[in-house]
Amino acid sequence: MTIGLNDYITLSVILFALGFLGVLLRKNTLVIYMCLELMLVASTLALVAFSRFHGMLDGNVFVFFILTVAAAEVAVGLAIIVALFRRRQTVQVDELNALRD
Amino acid sequence: MNLSLLQSAAADNRWAALFPELPLALLALLLLVLEIVLPKRQHRSIPVVAILGQLALLVALLVNLRGGMTEQLTFNGLIRHSPTGQFFRVLFLVTSLLVSLLGVVSLARQRMPRVEFFHIVMIVSAAMMLLVQSHHFVMFFVALETVTVGFYILVSYYRTNPLSLEAGLKYLVMGALSSAMLLFGIVLLYGAVGNPALAPSGLAAGAMDFASVRQFLLAHPDNFLAQVGIVLVLSGVAFKIGAVPFQIWVPDVYQGAPTPITAFLAVGSKAAGFGALVVLAGVFAPCKSLVIPVLSVMAGATILFGNLAALTQYNVKRLIALSGVSHAGYLLIGVIAAYYDPAALSGVYFYLIAYLVASFAVFGVMTHVSGENEADQELEHYADLARTHPFLALVLVIGLGSLAGIPPLAGFIGKLMIFLAAFSAGLYVLLGIAVLGVVISIYYYFGWIKAACFSAWRLPAPAGEAAAGLPRTPVAWPARVTLGTLAVASVVLGLWQGPLIGWLLAR
Repeated sequence: MTIGLNDYITLSVILFALGFLGVLLRKNTLVIYMCLELMLVASTLALVAFSRFHGMLDGNVFVFFILTVAAAEVAVGLAIIVALFRRRQTVQVDELNALRD
Repeated sequence: MNLSLLQSAAADNRWAALFPELPLALLALLLLVLEIVLPKRQHRSIPVVAILGQLALLVALLVNLRGGMTEQLTFNGLIRHSPTGQFFRVLFLVTSLLVSLLGVVSLARQRMPRVEFFHIVMIVSAAMMLLVQSHHFVMFFVALETVTVGFYILVSYYRTNPLSLEAGLKYLVMGALSSAMLLFGIVLLYGAVGNPALAPSGLAAGAMDFASVRQFLLAHPDNFLAQVGIVLVLSGVAFKIGAVPFQIWVPDVYQGAPTPITAFLAVGSKAAGFGALVVLAGVFAPCKSLVIPVLSVMAGATILFGNLAALTQYNVKRLIALSGVSHAGYLLIGVIAAYYDPAALSGVYFYLIAYLVASFAVFGVMTHVSGENEADQELEHYADLARTHPFLALVLVIGLGSLAGIPPLAGFIGKLMIFLAAFSAGLYVLLGIAVLGVVISIYYYFGWIKAACFSAWRLPAPAGEAAAGLPRTPVAWPARVTLGTLAVASVVLGLWQGPLIGWLLAR
């Protein structure tokens, strides 16, 4: 059995959907953050698969940019989460509701 | 890959073409260097360097306005210079300058490091300029992420205030979610455009170049993969401009963020989103039958939601946030009308100018009226503003009047231009919704004006206690000059806009 482009794209869409649902449904900020990273990784997987099957390298190069951006996002994001935990002693989304109507 | 190929690729890197972006980023770095080099008691002068530097850049940009307008591709097709790009450069530089000025006022009330604030504001502004001039999805994504990550830091900048941090977290989760959707859309478009079976002749510029994407969509307008990609990319941009159904972050983040950053989000981030949307609308033009219904539903829902939700607000930051959502809706109508007549874009650009001028007048007043906790700004804090601070009240009335679209002011002309474009494009349903939205908006804008100008009855303060109310920051002369200029600009642009509109139309 050979693994074709469709299998990669299907896997990537499943990963993306898992991440998306995780962001919407989970309550712990850190788990939500991991789900966001999962969505980025799903895009990366599809990008590499497309790049391989198109016979072009530009998709692979884009992956490096995505990794860099994701690293910057994690650095800032975790700093915000840590600072918030120091102030509020919680990272549960349903307890972080001081801003609302 | 041989040497001559590398040389020809490098010959396309015209660094001088990145005139305001590169010096702006260097100026931002210079601020950090100054903080290390200068002794501590001279740190007060660093914001002055930031503001004067940006002023000098603005003058240099305006002097050289024509020079940067020739249409050309640089950096191997990553960046496309155009008159529109030049317009947005001026817009973002003015935004950055005004945010820095408001930042000085707001930071004076906080015990916070100062320099990084100006540094990040300038870096984000430079990234916005690159975003609206990008001609390649890699450039687009990287510039957009620079803007977004910078805003995560800025929104949660007052990190001793839990509300600022909470707003930062909400913006982080929503922003990262929208970036991931945008990225997946880009990947799907790449998958469709780069497919060798669909473009047998091969692509000259690579599958992520905007020209290639447009060429592919012309040949295959109903490719399923590409259509899903288009919807995902548009969703990502809709997050940035705060259009329904991606507006849920707007009121919370605007309320929690420091007031100058709220202004930056409301004006800069929204203008950058619209700059990107205008570029993408051109790229996706072959798929009109998909893009127009998506944008139309968004525009109608955005106007209605923004105006109806703003009616019930008492916190002025939430009020201005939700009214900002409705302004995004009016601008979306302009973008849709541009599909029928490209001249409608000049209406969008004029609206952005009028919105910038009026918003910064209002945010400038908000910065001065606010106390130390910037999330807590209620309508009742504005009581008696006209008696105690007639200057601030006058600026506020002009700014709010312009936002509401009262005839002699700039906001009215902006709305008029967009509505006329929508009328000649035959968008009657959207036009009806927009007019209804304007009528609703007058109610809450005038509620705010009433709170500021007419004194409400209050319990007399018990003897021996100072009168209630927030300690309002006195207006220093730079802020006075800025706010006065903004108020005058709103009036002047409303009465006399001949050369400006001529220039916008001539592009």
